[in-house]
Amino acid sequence: MRRHLWCNLKRLQCVPTITNVLTQGISVAPPSAAATPTSSLLIIRSYSSIGELQPQLSPEIIRIMEQRLTAIEYRTAFLQNLVNQPEASPAEYARANKELRKLKSSADLISELRSKQKEINGLKSLRVDCSEDKDMVSMATEELGEAMVEEKRLQNLLLKSLLPKDDADERDCILEVRAGTGGEEASLFAMDIFKMYEKYSQKKGWKFEVVDLTESDLRGYKEASAAISGADVYGKLKFEKGIHRVQRIPVTEKAGRIHTSAVSVAILPQADEVDVQLRNEDLKIDTYRSGGAGGQHANTTNSAVRITHIPSGMVVAIQDERSQHMNKAKALKVLRAKLYEMERSRIHSKRSKLRSEQIGSGDRSERVRTYNFPQGRITDHRVGITCHAIDDVMQGESLDVFLDALLLQQEMDAIACFSSSQ
Amino acid sequence: MKLSLISAFGMSNFTMFIKPPLFRNLHQSVCSSVKSPPPPLAYIKPRMPLFLRPSTHMVAMLDLCKWYEWAKSLASSVGTTFEDVDNGPDSSLLRRELKWLVDDVTEDRAVSLLMHSEKCDRNVGIRVSLDELYKLWKERIEERRPFQYIVGCEHWRDLVLCVQEGVLIPRPETEQIVDLVADVVSDNEGLREGLWVDLGTGSGAIAIGVGMMLESLGRAIATDLSPLALSVAAFNVQRYGLQDVVELRQGSWFEPLKDLEGKVAGIVSNPPYIPSDNISGLQAEVGRHEPRIALDGGVNGMDDLLRLCKGAGSMLKSGGFFAFETNGEQQCKHLVEYMETDAGDCFCNVNIVPDFAGIQRFVTGFRK
Repeated sequence: MRRHLWCNLKRLQCVPTITNVLTQGISVAPPSAAATPTSSLLIIRSYSSIGELQPQLSPEIIRIMEQRLTAIEYRTAFLQNLVNQPEASPAEYARANKELRKLKSSADLISELRSKQKEINGLKSLRVDCSEDKDMVSMATEELGEAMVEEKRLQNLLLKSLLPKDDADERDCILEVRAGTGGEEASLFAMDIFKMYEKYSQKKGWKFEVVDLTESDLRGYKEASAAISGADVYGKLKFEKGIHRVQRIPVTEKAGRIHTSAVSVAILPQADEVDVQLRNEDLKIDTYRSGGAGGQHANTTNSAVRITHIPSGMVVAIQDERSQHMNKAKALKVLRAKLYEMERSRIHSKRSKLRSEQIGSGDRSERVRTYNFPQGRITDHRVGITCHAIDDVMQGESLDVFLDALLLQQEMDAIACFSSSQ
Repeated sequence: MKLSLISAFGMSNFTMFIKPPLFRNLHQSVCSSVKSPPPPLAYIKPRMPLFLRPSTHMVAMLDLCKWYEWAKSLASSVGTTFEDVDNGPDSSLLRRELKWLVDDVTEDRAVSLLMHSEKCDRNVGIRVSLDELYKLWKERIEERRPFQYIVGCEHWRDLVLCVQEGVLIPRPETEQIVDLVADVVSDNEGLREGLWVDLGTGSGAIAIGVGMMLESLGRAIATDLSPLALSVAAFNVQRYGLQDVVELRQGSWFEPLKDLEGKVAGIVSNPPYIPSDNISGLQAEVGRHEPRIALDGGVNGMDDLLRLCKGAGSMLKSGGFFAFETNGEQQCKHLVEYMETDAGDCFCNVNIVPDFAGIQRFVTGFRK
């Protein structure tokens, strides 16, 4: 708990630039290349139990935002006009309505903001006009103060709604852990990490369902995957994607030397039938039976299913459910998630270079964290934060230390994009 | 209607799930006249599957772990011997079955998780006695008693069905019949709201799978010759709350369905289809333990299949559907030939559908 507060205190130190906020971690790791927002942006935020500070938006941000808000106001008015015209074709009508629906929440906030700004102007002129009436002035000042706080709140909400969002954040996810270099020790660490996510999921009240497990000789995991379901699971866990490196004395090591091994973690958002439509013609489903007549001739508890998606060549095999139907259902779930991720990566790689500066850009071989057991510390290389409660983290307790920082960095990157794209 | 209770198996106490009215003929609306009252049904109390029993046997964690280690090494000692002899399970399959046995016998995941960690110092409640656990696993390995009979259940599609000696263990291939029915009713109201028949239902698997899919718009009748199978099927139907959707009738093939001629929307079946001579060479789990009457299809395995094909014409209404499971390509070809020529030109769209192992497994078609 103390360490958690310490991490947050460091973040809270009011410094003018974002880069400083991010590098005020406990370690001496250099700031990662991802954190390069412009220094003209003034944002101070707090996530800790110390208290909620109302974030302060710089004039530059407000100016940019105003441009966007005005554009939305014009667009909404235009669409509303279109919808009200009787000559509009059904297709145009439907399209316009769809866009209106998407803009609705922003549009509502904007009208709230406008009325608040009108109120502020009204109060300001009241103060000037009634400058002799002390009571009036003090009352107006008090109300002005409240109105301006409310204005700030609305501006923050609007800023958030204008930032690029990942639709996938609300979804469930599929977790894949794979032992990398380091042989048996890597498999053992893969198991430790897998269990860490299991415990973390339980603490968050998420459902953690093992999908597949390939055990190594010493009962570590060569590969393990799970389906995690709950609220906003993908948004929270997506930062875990990448290589996790461990430095410790392996169980098998006789001479007490420290070994380094690696585990790769992948997080895929779960996709449903609407996102990824699988046509029966595109799927080849088979059970890998070793010959034999099957049917009534055999009594088997092996109902493993392998599904090949012919157009993409993607293959998923599931074997650990107790019925063929359930193995097939799970395989389809994993297949959808993988195809969805493939499509998302394809779309993202077509986007501008800004994407590659963001965290979790999808590079699976990016080294994200180092776990050093002898020194009892874990370092996240993207935000430059080191946590010394290594046991707590492995028990699923303090993972939020990293996840909160990563989320913060993502938001700041998004704000940087927002202003630089003008 | 009289019911005689035959308690055939010594059992631990459990409440009776099966109510007598289940066997009453529900189709008063469909049949115009009931010719004679059905014969009294022998009611046999089904054996409770392990996973439904209360975990009232207290054992020391240490002892449970000791049993587990013993069972694991017994499984590992098998190697590929069963596989080499009759295509039976190998050690890795047996070890996985062991994990499932632990799942069924322990109260929750916590216990089976604890077993894998070092904390073996408390007492836990399990669903059978420790002695029973030793006995069961010994039976698995030494007598090749099927895993499903040991745990008393089979996971099939998204269901868990109670099974025991005397009832055929539903096969993974048969899961597909329910998918075939689903495809056919998806755009056909007449079939979806009609009467479906599962002949030789055994544990009730297909009838329950179809019953769940019809969503009480349609109805299903499941028949079997064996009173034991029907008792088990009744138990399964009740567990899934389908008493008002699935009716059970005892008798041989179409015999108990004479009142429904020309009114049936669909006939499905997984009849015995193994040639008699092949039975002795079967995998031990099947040949030594599963009921022969559910497997033996006569000289070329086709006796019952042909009987079904012959009767389907008069049972099915116009546009009705049938799907039968077979031994493979040869049987499928014979049936298709029969349906297209000898069956008196009443069928159309007769097709062969393969299973997921690539074997030509099902014959389907429609009554003209």
